[in-house]
Amino acid sequence: MSRVVAVSRRPIWIALSIALLIHTGLISIQAGHRFDTRFVRMWLLDSLAPLEKLVDRSLYGIVYVWDSYFALIGTHKENEQLKQQVDELKLQLEKRREDVIEVERLRTLLSIQDTGIGRTAVSRVIGRDPGRANQTVTIDKGLSHGLKPDSAVITANGIVGRVIHSSNFFSIVQLVIDSQSAIGVMLESTRRQGVLKGNGTRELELEYIDDDNDLKEGMKFITSGQDRIYPKGLQVGVITSVGPRRGLLRTVQVRPAADLDRLEEVICVLDRPQNVDVVDPALGPPAP
Amino acid sequence: MVRITTFGIIGRFALALVAVVVIQGILSFKFKVFGYFDLPLICSVYYGFTLGNPVASIVIGSALGLMQDSLSGAVLGTNGFSKTLIGFMAASAGSKFNVDQPITRVIALFLFTIGDGLLVSILGLMVDSTSGTTYSGALGGWILSATFNTLLGLILFGYHDRWGNATT
Repeated sequence: MSRVVAVSRRPIWIALSIALLIHTGLISIQAGHRFDTRFVRMWLLDSLAPLEKLVDRSLYGIVYVWDSYFALIGTHKENEQLKQQVDELKLQLEKRREDVIEVERLRTLLSIQDTGIGRTAVSRVIGRDPGRANQTVTIDKGLSHGLKPDSAVITANGIVGRVIHSSNFFSIVQLVIDSQSAIGVMLESTRRQGVLKGNGTRELELEYIDDDNDLKEGMKFITSGQDRIYPKGLQVGVITSVGPRRGLLRTVQVRPAADLDRLEEVICVLDRPQNVDVVDPALGPPAP
Repeated sequence: MVRITTFGIIGRFALALVAVVVIQGILSFKFKVFGYFDLPLICSVYYGFTLGNPVASIVIGSALGLMQDSLSGAVLGTNGFSKTLIGFMAASAGSKFNVDQPITRVIALFLFTIGDGLLVSILGLMVDSTSGTTYSGALGGWILSATFNTLLGLILFGYHDRWGNATT
């Protein structure tokens, strides 16, 4: 390996100082909110995310070709024998089964629309946080598709997270399990309101609830809509453990309803929830 | 005869750096365990050790960090700051120690990963100290990440050494 020739070290210190100053400047202006730095992130995201999408689509294509063709080479003969055994009725039955699956899928999607969440856009997840510090994913929809910071991102199973940065064609979504994520929730059965918080692990923690005495494993949390990000009534997660009291509250772990490890397509909610009485959960429900 | 211009070299370098960040993002998404690896960090350390040019190492570390920040939800500049320092320190270490020795590489990769995690967390807290982020399990994560990075780094460095020797 080559070695540094000891000539003048001045250019090195100058380069180091300039680089550190640039980064310190970026950090400090974000901390003080003095300048809008979104354009820097937008430019970088619009430059890098297309490559990420390209690699993702290429991988998807390779897997698809493999699954559709090469993986079937050995089964061709067997398939031919099976085809001879299949009669017209069985083919029709298969067709009906496909129809049933399609109807069920459409019903699931329609039930989401029925909750009154407004306009949505289906988006594909193309990448994850390259570092380990944040629980974020990159999706292939951005400002030009109607997404903006704080747009809710969901699946048919439950909420996924919210958009935190958007460029023209791509967005970064903060997952609900991120340590900086908090969701206004309520228990599906008792309607008690609370706040669930991510902690960087696979589960959520109960940050606050009106009364935690009747909490049991298996109880479901849904969105309360009071954070003005997630529409009311969407599945958030299920209580997996109720531990001993730590301070005022019990330690309650909640498993997210959406499978955050296997995200492929997500639904982005373009309209912010309306007509929700904003109440601070810490202050309790409003007086009648 | 192929003429390699300075512009061509810089272009190839830039492409390689972008590829590193994009591959890291894709692999972290496809395979959960890849979240523990930090290819940009390994890349910063490798170029710091091998280029023999601290200014180039600083620029590479800086660019890698900034790209990493832009594809994550992190505060812009936190990874950039950290990787800049790592690039500089790796280049300085390359001129003072025998970085061809596996033990030097192991120690460097391990310590640089821990330092990177620590610095990025501190800078993140400085920007948003009210976030309530819990760092109770952070040290365990950093150690795990440092172990993964060290192993992967050793393999990649060894592969590059062999490939480099074979082509010269």
